[in-house]
Amino acid sequence: MNPDGKQEALDDTLVLDLSFANFSGIITASFFAEAGAEVIKVEPPEGDPARVMTPHGETVEGVGIPFLSEGRNKRHIILDISQQDDLEKLKKLVVKADVLIESYAPGEMDSLGLGYRQLKELNPGLIYISLTPYGQFGSLAEKREGIPWSDLTSQAESGLAALIGDLPDTPEPYNWPTRAGFYAAAYATAVEAATAALVALFYKRATGEGQMLDIATADAYASCVGIPPTFGHVWNHSRIRYGTLDYGLCPYGFFKCKDGHVAIACFRDQDFRAALKILGRWDMEEDWRSLLDRITDDVSKVKELNDEIEKTVAKFTYDEIFSKFSAYAVKAARSKWKGGGMPVTTKMVSAREVMDIKHWQARSTFSEVEHPVFGVLTLPTAGKMSETPPRIKWISAQLGEDNDFVTEKFGL
Amino acid sequence: MQSDYQAYARDLFDKDKVNSKPEALKGIRVLDLSHMIFGPTAAKTLGQYGAEVVKVEVPYQGDHWRSSSYWGKFWKHANPFWQFMNHSKYFVAIDVKKKKGKDLILQLAEMSDVVVENFSPGTVDAWGIGYRQIKEANPKIIYASCSTFGQYGPFRYMPGWDLLAQGASGMLAATGHPDTDKYFKVPDFYGDFFPGVYAAMLIMIALNARERTGLGQYLDIAQAEILMRALPHFTYDRATGKELGRSGSNDPTMSPSGIFKTADDAFVALAIGSDKQFLGLSQAMKEPGLADDSRFTKAVDRLKPEHAKELNLKITTWIESQPAQALIDLAGEFGFPVAPVMDDLDISVDEWRRERGNVVNFNDEMYGDFVLEASTTLMSGTPSRIKWLTRPLGYHNRYIFKELLGLTEPEIQKLEKERAVGYWDFKVGQRPPVYYDIDNDPLFNYEK
Repeated sequence: MNPDGKQEALDDTLVLDLSFANFSGIITASFFAEAGAEVIKVEPPEGDPARVMTPHGETVEGVGIPFLSEGRNKRHIILDISQQDDLEKLKKLVVKADVLIESYAPGEMDSLGLGYRQLKELNPGLIYISLTPYGQFGSLAEKREGIPWSDLTSQAESGLAALIGDLPDTPEPYNWPTRAGFYAAAYATAVEAATAALVALFYKRATGEGQMLDIATADAYASCVGIPPTFGHVWNHSRIRYGTLDYGLCPYGFFKCKDGHVAIACFRDQDFRAALKILGRWDMEEDWRSLLDRITDDVSKVKELNDEIEKTVAKFTYDEIFSKFSAYAVKAARSKWKGGGMPVTTKMVSAREVMDIKHWQARSTFSEVEHPVFGVLTLPTAGKMSETPPRIKWISAQLGEDNDFVTEKFGL
Repeated sequence: MQSDYQAYARDLFDKDKVNSKPEALKGIRVLDLSHMIFGPTAAKTLGQYGAEVVKVEVPYQGDHWRSSSYWGKFWKHANPFWQFMNHSKYFVAIDVKKKKGKDLILQLAEMSDVVVENFSPGTVDAWGIGYRQIKEANPKIIYASCSTFGQYGPFRYMPGWDLLAQGASGMLAATGHPDTDKYFKVPDFYGDFFPGVYAAMLIMIALNARERTGLGQYLDIAQAEILMRALPHFTYDRATGKELGRSGSNDPTMSPSGIFKTADDAFVALAIGSDKQFLGLSQAMKEPGLADDSRFTKAVDRLKPEHAKELNLKITTWIESQPAQALIDLAGEFGFPVAPVMDDLDISVDEWRRERGNVVNFNDEMYGDFVLEASTTLMSGTPSRIKWLTRPLGYHNRYIFKELLGLTEPEIQKLEKERAVGYWDFKVGQRPPVYYDIDNDPLFNYEK
């Protein structure tokens, strides 16, 4: 799976990223860049505000952490499209491009003469991606056209925030809707947009035809997991926030142990029995024997079970639970009798702890890349491919860093 | 906006024209050996763009996710959430542990473009249907192995799924309030669905590469790594020497930001990304001076924890004095991000999602009317579509075995007798809905 000397999947593909103050656009472009496409991020002279969307305002040489991380294999150029000269340069790039990404308010690019209907005349093969909160048409695209993108508002409007947070009887604001602690909506949107764009690129290879893609980021989470609209339709009500409980089964989650948090997740009766035996709580077996008892539609009842498990787990260290669970699972797997249960666990680890784990080091999950200005950066990577592996070749993130390179390569 | 732009865009993505447009992946066959959520989502994503997906399950057992649901409740003898991740597939039930069953799977793999599986690493190889075996007969195959920890490395034999991947990737440790010992998982199996679409993306990269090189390949897709890819925490930690940790509802990359309670007891999210947005917000609050305050003019300064905290206090008070709708109107007028917190019911009846076709009311021959997510991505040329919902275990056996493998009726009956292929037992999620006349279903009884 080592990329050295192997071909890149998309090194025949040119992507222009014109997204502005919108990480779902930037990340969509990154997925192409990792697969070998030439990705040019085009910024106005003042730069993309996303450059400084960074945790606690922390930057490296003035550039934010997320922007640096997503600067993998990209080119950054400045074009001032209010100037005729630069507008022509952009159009020159459009003629050669396979994919264009933009995130301005619906119709804004169109009124600048840079909408899909104008650019497809220059390049009928162009795949034109628009990412906005409510899409290009429809009641809210019109009514709320002035509302720009953010990850948090996308999380809220697509059903995610309503499901995170503690149980109703806990004090405010702990029982309020809560944010997933990363760009959950932006990444979900980006991977869907990139997948659709790759589908369009595949089609273009066969027919030469391009097309337009319209993505509504306010639907990000609902369309990723699919559950909210179907739940609302079938049950005709909404779910309450469930804290650390699970909507499916109990026990199912991470429980506090002596030295951290450990996963206890019992799908089947035999998994539950195995966990009770190992944890020394066989006394609970009679009351909670069947799966029906452990289904979580009655919060007060299931909380009782959850509390018991919590109290018990608190007496063990993670290593004690892991070694007992593993030994039991191996024994059960080797046994001819198939009803032995398969207790599985893992430890909750922080990002810092993850980077020290040998498994991820053996897989080169984290790539270290050096940049003359930004120094050495550590970036997560995902997806191993045997013939055309994705890879990180360089980081580019300075405003206009690649003006000369792009001008020369594309004869601007 | 040009006055005719909306009409132009509406026509470009017209819902009524979807079925008359071409499918981008028509002619691509996906052999879906996967189960639960991660693998099936990858196959479904390809299916919605026109690939022919043949889902193989264990006879009389089926995909365990068929018989799971929230709160133990089912819909028409099926798990309602299973429809979304398995629609438009062909359902066959073949026992890989019978020699004849394994041969059927190998034959299907030989005529497929993509294989998706998500058993514990090493399992398909031990069964004789792994990449090593299938590429012999079909070197152009794109074989996607989906797992929690990946196919190699010291944790390779550790099983896992959404919950464990969230815990092991650092994602779980990133969500919740910083002053508590409660860590909230991202709900609804985000840790399976997001990697599922990611896997489809990697398969699409491989399909594009194959168009150029003619080569198939093996994909080792580890869901914990995919979750890590979405976290800024690693890069932040190494660059600053500080742990990013949790921040409740505050987005530390946006200031001010959070989820707030309005005057009418609703919840809204607000997150300010750019200086222009902040200027708009300060005008909407009728405090234009805020944007001139040197602590708040520039994003990097607004984001400093002490400044962000001060701004969030101001916003809390301001939002408490405003009804939700007024805030949304102001956000539109002054150009800054605000959104209502929407829940299941809100989303299921939401008009704009219906207008776009993101959420659809689908009328299925077996299940009747059903509401589900189609796709958030609309494509003007080759739109995604739903052809049918899910089907009982083994429903397409006859159709696929006769049409693709050329088996005769007596041959199929012999395989049934030997239990190399099979159907549902009476378990919920596997069987047809009780009202459905399966005996007279032409597809189930295909050329019988």
